[in-house]
Amino acid sequence: MTHTKLRNILLPLVGVGVLAAPSMLGGTGSIYSAAVLIAIFAVMAYGLDVIVSDLGEVSLAHTVFFAAGCYTTALLSTRAGFDGWGTLAGTIVVALGLALLIGLVTLRLREFVFSLVTYAVGVVAVTLASNWQFLGGSDGLRGIPPLDMSFAGITLTASNDQELWPFAFALLTITVYLIDRFRHSRLGAAAIMTHLNPRLATMGGTDPARVRLQVFLFSAPISAAAGWLYAYQRAYVSADVLENYFLILMLTAVVLMGRRQLLGPLAAVALILAQEKFFSLGGYVDKIILGSVLVLILGFFPQGLMGLAKPLLGLFRGNRRPVSQPSISSFGDIK
Amino acid sequence: MNLTQQVINGLVLGHAYALIAIGWTLLLGVARLVNFGHGQMYMVGAFVTWWAVAKAGMPYALAVPVAMAVGALFGLVMQRMMLKATFEQNLVSIMIMTLGFGYVMHGAAALVFGSTGQILETSLSLYEVNMGDLWFTGQDAAIVVAAIVLFVGLKWVLDGTRIGRLVRMVAEDPKLAQLAGVNVRRVYYGVFSFEGAAVAFAAGMVAPRTPILTSMGFEEVIMTFVVVVFGGIGSVKGSYFAGVALGLFTALFGALVSPAYTTAAAFLVLIALLVLRPGGLTSGAAGAH
Repeated sequence: MTHTKLRNILLPLVGVGVLAAPSMLGGTGSIYSAAVLIAIFAVMAYGLDVIVSDLGEVSLAHTVFFAAGCYTTALLSTRAGFDGWGTLAGTIVVALGLALLIGLVTLRLREFVFSLVTYAVGVVAVTLASNWQFLGGSDGLRGIPPLDMSFAGITLTASNDQELWPFAFALLTITVYLIDRFRHSRLGAAAIMTHLNPRLATMGGTDPARVRLQVFLFSAPISAAAGWLYAYQRAYVSADVLENYFLILMLTAVVLMGRRQLLGPLAAVALILAQEKFFSLGGYVDKIILGSVLVLILGFFPQGLMGLAKPLLGLFRGNRRPVSQPSISSFGDIK
Repeated sequence: MNLTQQVINGLVLGHAYALIAIGWTLLLGVARLVNFGHGQMYMVGAFVTWWAVAKAGMPYALAVPVAMAVGALFGLVMQRMMLKATFEQNLVSIMIMTLGFGYVMHGAAALVFGSTGQILETSLSLYEVNMGDLWFTGQDAAIVVAAIVLFVGLKWVLDGTRIGRLVRMVAEDPKLAQLAGVNVRRVYYGVFSFEGAAVAFAAGMVAPRTPILTSMGFEEVIMTFVVVVFGGIGSVKGSYFAGVALGLFTALFGALVSPAYTTAAAFLVLIALLVLRPGGLTSGAAGAH
């Protein structure tokens, strides 16, 4: 059986398993809450994953896209009475606008200058969110109604975590599908080429600046969509959605299992949140654990946990692939 | 508003920014490394100084070197963890790792020192100089003097000593420097421990001006970034003047427009510069003087 066929069978099975997981694990409120948060934060991390893993840049502004989703949802639902579809559309439009603005400003910046500017965007966003009364200032925005995505006479609402779970799962599934399509698209290939050798990409007729902007525009709405659902899950939004926690969580999710692993961010977020929700050692110790995991993985296992598992899998496969033959997964250790 | 007083405030603030940025200037100029944990190292330096004075009963003059030693140790540990990535110039990993270190430091500082804000009072910060309507503290004067001495000293070390020559060689080309017999690993360790000690020194000097909180540090990173970029990446002299200019801008903007948005305003000026001169900034990356 070919790798693709096996994958096409396994992925739906994994999907069914994930959908049923909260129920099989007891179906308590805390289990559903953790499941919804895992899905939301995994989607948030997938947005950053394409920037770090495919484009090879470290965007530190993705918390801003996440927060933009939260705030847009809060504003449109509480002040304009939009339903879930309207707030989702608004979230995507705002995320695209912000991504275009940040993308154009940072178009010719690379490496640490790009990262520093995006980090600064995050700090400015915290200042704005904390002080601007339009965004609720330090009090934030409260009273977000339950998610309502009813259409054509079909009632689709969610007022607690158990009811939110199918929506979170659907958002996660769509995101994973989009990431997979992206990696098999011309834009995905151009992103990798721009990352590995911009000069070669240019010789091949690719405009690196254009590719970078397009990938940025692709990734921002994904992280923002996570913010959209997070606003409904919490029912209020404040400047804490821009906290460094979300940035560190996203980055750890991207590198923990290894870069360019389709289900890597999901598995990583599940591991991290399981520790925080069910084996927590207190907020401060959890911070130390999360930060240490990030440092240790990159310092000693730059190919992530899957990189550790690869030699073991090789034993079972009998190492049929010649050593010199490159594989797509070898992009996992690209800089 | 007293304009002269705001200029004095701006000069003090500017020297504080320059002092906070000096370690990063060398780090970026020599090793082409960035440290997103810089702000948290500043926070730890401030807390260690406070702890040494308020809890361990040390004199302030001893507390600052203690904080510097802790900062240098942190720098060494960070560099040890990032050594492989440093040699590979894997900036993506380095940037993410330093963010991780910052996060660990944040959690550890909150665990050790608590989340309550602290005030560090020194005999210098309690000593006020009044000249008519104008005033400043002894701590303000000490910050200005310390910044000037440190910048002049660093410039002299880089330009006029054997250590400086080795550091400049590594900045120019680490691989060729290694072939020429330079212990590049030791230079990297030295640079990162200098970064840790320098930011802890800056924290020990500047922290008496503000409440010490575990949440501080983010603004310091941004201001450091603005100083380093404005000054020309890796330029010691440039960083000094950029720091002073940024301090004046911040003080005047805070007084004339809004103190809440000073960081945002400084950043917008930086963005304007980046848009106007995108190539000119990165092209000056090499060279640490």
